[in-house]
Amino acid sequence: MNVASRLPSPTARAEPIRSAKPPFLGFGLGLRAQHYDDILSGNPPIDWFEVISENYMLPGGQPLRVLDQICARYPVVMHGVSLSIASTAPPNFEYLQGLKDLAHRVQPKWVSDHLCWTGVHGKNLHDLLPIPYTEEALDHVVSRVQLVQDFLGRALVLENVSTYVQFNNSEMTEWEFLSELSRRSGCWLLFDINNVYVSAFNHGYDPLTFLNGIPADRVVQFHMAGHSHMGTHIIDTHDHPVCEDVWDLYVAALKRFGRVSTMIERDDNIPPLDELMLEVNRTREIAEAVLPAGALPR
Amino acid sequence: MSDFARQQGEFQRGILSGDDSILAEILDSPKETRATLFGVYRYAYGSRLVEAMRNDHELLHRYLGDETFDDMGHAYVKARPSEHPNLRWFSQGLPDFLRSNEPYSNHLVLADLAALEKALNDAFDAVEGAVLALEAMAGFAPEQWNDLVFTPHPSAARIDLSTNAAAIWMALKDEETPSEAQTLGEPSRLLIWRQDTTPMFRELPTEEAMMWDEAANGIPFGVLCEMLATYDDPDGAAARGASYLHGWITAGLLTAASVPT
Repeated sequence: MNVASRLPSPTARAEPIRSAKPPFLGFGLGLRAQHYDDILSGNPPIDWFEVISENYMLPGGQPLRVLDQICARYPVVMHGVSLSIASTAPPNFEYLQGLKDLAHRVQPKWVSDHLCWTGVHGKNLHDLLPIPYTEEALDHVVSRVQLVQDFLGRALVLENVSTYVQFNNSEMTEWEFLSELSRRSGCWLLFDINNVYVSAFNHGYDPLTFLNGIPADRVVQFHMAGHSHMGTHIIDTHDHPVCEDVWDLYVAALKRFGRVSTMIERDDNIPPLDELMLEVNRTREIAEAVLPAGALPR
Repeated sequence: MSDFARQQGEFQRGILSGDDSILAEILDSPKETRATLFGVYRYAYGSRLVEAMRNDHELLHRYLGDETFDDMGHAYVKARPSEHPNLRWFSQGLPDFLRSNEPYSNHLVLADLAALEKALNDAFDAVEGAVLALEAMAGFAPEQWNDLVFTPHPSAARIDLSTNAAAIWMALKDEETPSEAQTLGEPSRLLIWRQDTTPMFRELPTEEAMMWDEAANGIPFGVLCEMLATYDDPDGAAARGASYLHGWITAGLLTAASVPT
């Protein structure tokens, strides 16, 4: 693959993509196959859906047909798990082309993935792996984000992941890294409130310090999810309802960031749609109570 | 190589091969050792991939049971690490793995069951294609029929199984006790495709399988009927050919029929 031929001319634009801030979408849910029938037959009052990009990077068949129907009825956001933006391996242009093709089909409000890597040396571990918060890593990720944004022709939205280890060579905090990454590359931030809670517990810092260290004007989405508490550490399993501590952190996030598109993310032990709707409704009710009158559209 | 790249290589090696070198570069947490914390990644790697295999091979899982399937799954994960960013394609090599690695290769039914499930999965999300309507065949004059060639639906695929895996698959699907695995004297010739959104398969008589394979290679209808004449009653070959063709069209197995110009 001739990498250079896939990229815009270097003289075309020296500055990173600076896109307008994505719109506020309201209170949404992660689209899962278990709920396809209920959604298509019942048109539930969910403001928007987030879809896992890789689940639809397929040749054809039922998943794409359902996706087309969902896109015709609801605003949709694409959320990937395999961009591997922080990998030191060469960019995978075949993957990027697939992502771009899907974005052309879906016309998402934005395209997001995680600040992580998933493999090197031709292997893919299918996990959201942690990075050291070093200047070297920051330079690498900034340049990689700019490359991907140029290829896709749109700004990315990147999410903080749950981490279980910290590297002894880190030179800054995770929130400093994310803030600088967003400032330098022009990417927006997906603030996963559960992940902040998980990482803060695992590494022994105050989640509010993380929250207050993120620039308020760069956050365009919240994730809310459940986890598994192992006593000495927490694992981000997305197989439980959102816990009360994370709901409390959501209140703090609303106070700092204002109204932000929010969604419930459930990936395992998936309950009926009605049960998840209760959590979606709770995100809305809390926002209505916390935010100033008139902050949310009627 | 940058230090960042070196560190990622070490981290990955720690997950894939159990090498502990990376532990020297990570920290204990206030409540847990670095070894336990890094172990979260090690455990998640294998369990996530085996879980994906359970989803892709639901009936092979049912046939083997949790413990045997998971042992097999971890052996596959170790032998064939994922090289594709999409988990959808991870277990594509499973039939080949089961066919070529002991102890699984001593039980051919396992590779056959995996091959059938893989083919059904592939049909499920195969490329979309038009479906040839029976009415469209009325547009061809009788003198054109000998020259007709056919385009299979993009989801259609043929596999041959050496065991009674298809019958075992059916029993497992119906949650019945499957019959004992047997190696067949003649291979079981299956045609797999997607009807609307549902993957299907059906077993073909030997001559229909031959006709399908040759039709998919672009052999015209007249020649196909001549080939059928070598399998059974020559006088009934054209009628049998027309009957098979009728079945394919009504099942949605063809995208087009045409006369090459």
